[in-house]
Amino acid sequence: MSRIGVFICHCGENISRTVDVERVAAQVGNMPGVAFATDYKYMCSDPGQTLLKKTIQEQKLSHVVVAACSPRMHEKTFRKAVESAGLNPFLCEMANIREHCSWVHENREEATVKAIEIVGMMVERVKKNRVLPAITVPVTKRSLVIGGGIAGIQAALDIADCGHEVILVEREPSIGGHMAQLSETFPTLDCSQCIMTPKMVDVANHPKIKLYTFSEIELVEGYIGNFQVTIKKKARSVDEDTCTGCGVCMTKCPQKKIPNKFDQNIGMRTAIYVPFPQAVPNTPVIDRDNCTWFKSGKCGVCQKVCGPGAVDFEQQDRLIVEAVGAIVVATGFDLYTIDEKPKGSPIKGYGEFGHGKIPDVIDGMTFERLASASGPTGGRILRPSDGKEPKQIVFIQCIGSRAREKGISYCSKVCCMYTAKHTMLYHHKVHDGQAYVFFMDARTPGKSYDEFWRRSIEEEEAVYIRGMVSRLYQKGDKIVVMGSDIAVGVQVEIEADMVVLATAVMPQKGADTLAQKLGISYDKYHFYSEAHAKLRPVECATAGIYLAGACQGPKDIPETVSQASAAAAKVMTLFSKDKMEREPIVARVREAGCVGCFACKKVCAYGAVEEKEIRDRQGNLIKVVAYVNPGVCGGCGTCQATCPSKSVELDGYTDEQIVAMIEAL
Amino acid sequence: MDARVKKKKMILSQGTMDVDFVRKVEALSDTSVRRCFQCGKCSAGCPMATFMEHPPNRVVRLLQLGQWRRILEGRSIWYCASCETCSTRCPNKVHLASIMDALRKLSWDAEGPSKESYVQLANKLFLQNIRSYGRQYEMRLAAVFNVKSGQFLKDLSLGPKLLAKGKLKMFHSKNRNLSEIGKIFTRIEEMRKNGEAL
Repeated sequence: MSRIGVFICHCGENISRTVDVERVAAQVGNMPGVAFATDYKYMCSDPGQTLLKKTIQEQKLSHVVVAACSPRMHEKTFRKAVESAGLNPFLCEMANIREHCSWVHENREEATVKAIEIVGMMVERVKKNRVLPAITVPVTKRSLVIGGGIAGIQAALDIADCGHEVILVEREPSIGGHMAQLSETFPTLDCSQCIMTPKMVDVANHPKIKLYTFSEIELVEGYIGNFQVTIKKKARSVDEDTCTGCGVCMTKCPQKKIPNKFDQNIGMRTAIYVPFPQAVPNTPVIDRDNCTWFKSGKCGVCQKVCGPGAVDFEQQDRLIVEAVGAIVVATGFDLYTIDEKPKGSPIKGYGEFGHGKIPDVIDGMTFERLASASGPTGGRILRPSDGKEPKQIVFIQCIGSRAREKGISYCSKVCCMYTAKHTMLYHHKVHDGQAYVFFMDARTPGKSYDEFWRRSIEEEEAVYIRGMVSRLYQKGDKIVVMGSDIAVGVQVEIEADMVVLATAVMPQKGADTLAQKLGISYDKYHFYSEAHAKLRPVECATAGIYLAGACQGPKDIPETVSQASAAAAKVMTLFSKDKMEREPIVARVREAGCVGCFACKKVCAYGAVEEKEIRDRQGNLIKVVAYVNPGVCGGCGTCQATCPSKSVELDGYTDEQIVAMIEAL
Repeated sequence: MDARVKKKKMILSQGTMDVDFVRKVEALSDTSVRRCFQCGKCSAGCPMATFMEHPPNRVVRLLQLGQWRRILEGRSIWYCASCETCSTRCPNKVHLASIMDALRKLSWDAEGPSKESYVQLANKLFLQNIRSYGRQYEMRLAAVFNVKSGQFLKDLSLGPKLLAKGKLKMFHSKNRNLSEIGKIFTRIEEMRKNGEAL
């Protein structure tokens, strides 16, 4: 026989104004199983909690119901109080008579009746509550960071500086990401390379960071605190330990006209190459698709000239398995191109801008490479078509972004600022030139951002024209830009030498595939989803996986760095204990009833359902049933609702409890 | 103003954006047109905006693009009552009333525009009379204005009434110190030539 204690809270006047709390206490006191019922002005206050604890001991209560506000507000408070009185915390339930009753009703009589019913339901429910022991999970204090851009670098350095081992995996031959490509950064115009390369070197030299470049994630298994990650280390064809980075191989390579992706394909590289001189690690890689040796079996010059003998044509892809406790995903972004897209793709190109076929129509990142001192033109702004300096340059914002019909409805966030920066860089380099910007809105929220944008207009003489461009076309060696100034209300035409498009920020290609490997969710654009937009912005819904940077949505550098440090802090919180304790609200499979259809496995958002073999004493397989890994289960209850044989139950929310509540009505 | 002129496409280049004129406006009005970000507050509070083909914010916008002809071809600057509401409320301290003033001054020498309002024609004829007679000769002012502006019958019915009341004289009279007045004009012309005055 249960001895239930019910505590009705006035919540100041929030509840007692519309609900006759004394009557509720009197009525509930007569319910079967209730040993004690009382009301109090503020249950959550210190005296209120003391009353709760004292009563549990004096009345020898077996279960507790607190009728007050939403469990979201104070469930933890009361369960803690119950625990300190010697009862299992999961034998305490809250009846919500504030948000669900007093706040939404005016009639005192009706509200009181409703409150009695709500409390009555919870009394019936709490009778079925079971003691739930806390679940502890061991934690492997090593972390994986996916992506070696500024987000991944910052997160890796922060975690490693805290003394934990970090495995940093980068797909490209060098870390650095997009930030290494930028010339200067807003709003202070400091050189991107100057602030980026020291951090890259720090990563390379850090004793706690293990760097895998030219590598990809192959497989992720396990759960929070206990992941096993398989990393594919692609064949570099150069031995990283032997290579001294002297660069002789690159000077001797006969294949010299391969477009360099790092320079947005306007600069050229050799077949054995480092993407840029400051690359980390400074070990070349052979591009096997373009190397004469790999194409025809001839050449091999690099191997002959290599002093230490580091070039190895026989090298194979390797698979490495690493055990980690937490994963930071920092895979960054890619840029939209205006080219034609294959049929069926939701993203369309821009025929009115020439589908990318006008040579002097470039994107913002290409302009960065032109403006960069280490770029293919040595920092001079020159037209890709004829190498002339453009005297009239037109920038067009919102290319792809904020265009639902192009499949992208969001704002790319960074373009307004980087275009303002571009006009300044242009003005600094081409003194007799004129920059024009076509824009719809200037979105410059951020510290010193709007001032920066205004500076580009007021001091650096950029002409901003509000209104989108309708069409671009080549006329002789000029590009005619047809737009309109909506402030004047007339059409505008500019004969430009060069046009720079601020193309939309999109997730990296293959972001969806990686998400599927990790078991994390993503939106329709393939940006990764956070657990809560406001209150859990750096965590995935999948426990133990954290987000940093533009893989979650368009972000600028300051924001990316902040989020990377925040993700690192979350990882360090997890690593601060040897074992982590989690709420035991998890699903449990009744193996006798389970037929092994695994409908639950399909619907599980957390990847918590595993297959378990049941064998007899001789070791013969009897059947395969579902097993819910309590370390991974998020306690959502979807499996319980799905199971056709009613063999999965969520602890704390069992069918028995729910039915008891309904029957109490 | 002809609607087609007002709506004519702007061809923007360093050649078509007259920065020098804009600099003159900025110097005369002691304000910067580049500071304006087209919030529209000036036009929102302007009591004369409904009569203008280019409301105050657009006047500044056209200046930003060096398109002063479009402003002077219209009547906006002449409708401005110099109430300074715009200047008082501008969040960027763009002194629009001063800009209007400066534009009116600069329109004196501007070729072509101002045709529609004929304000500068009236001003010029007025000063010509002063120079010729040392004082105003209204009959001639009205007659020449009507001929030059092509509105031969403009205000003709007012003539007899004014004549009857002695407000309009048939014949001119001359100032005694006509040569002194002539010197003032010569001096101003010299100053203008030397860039000491507008």
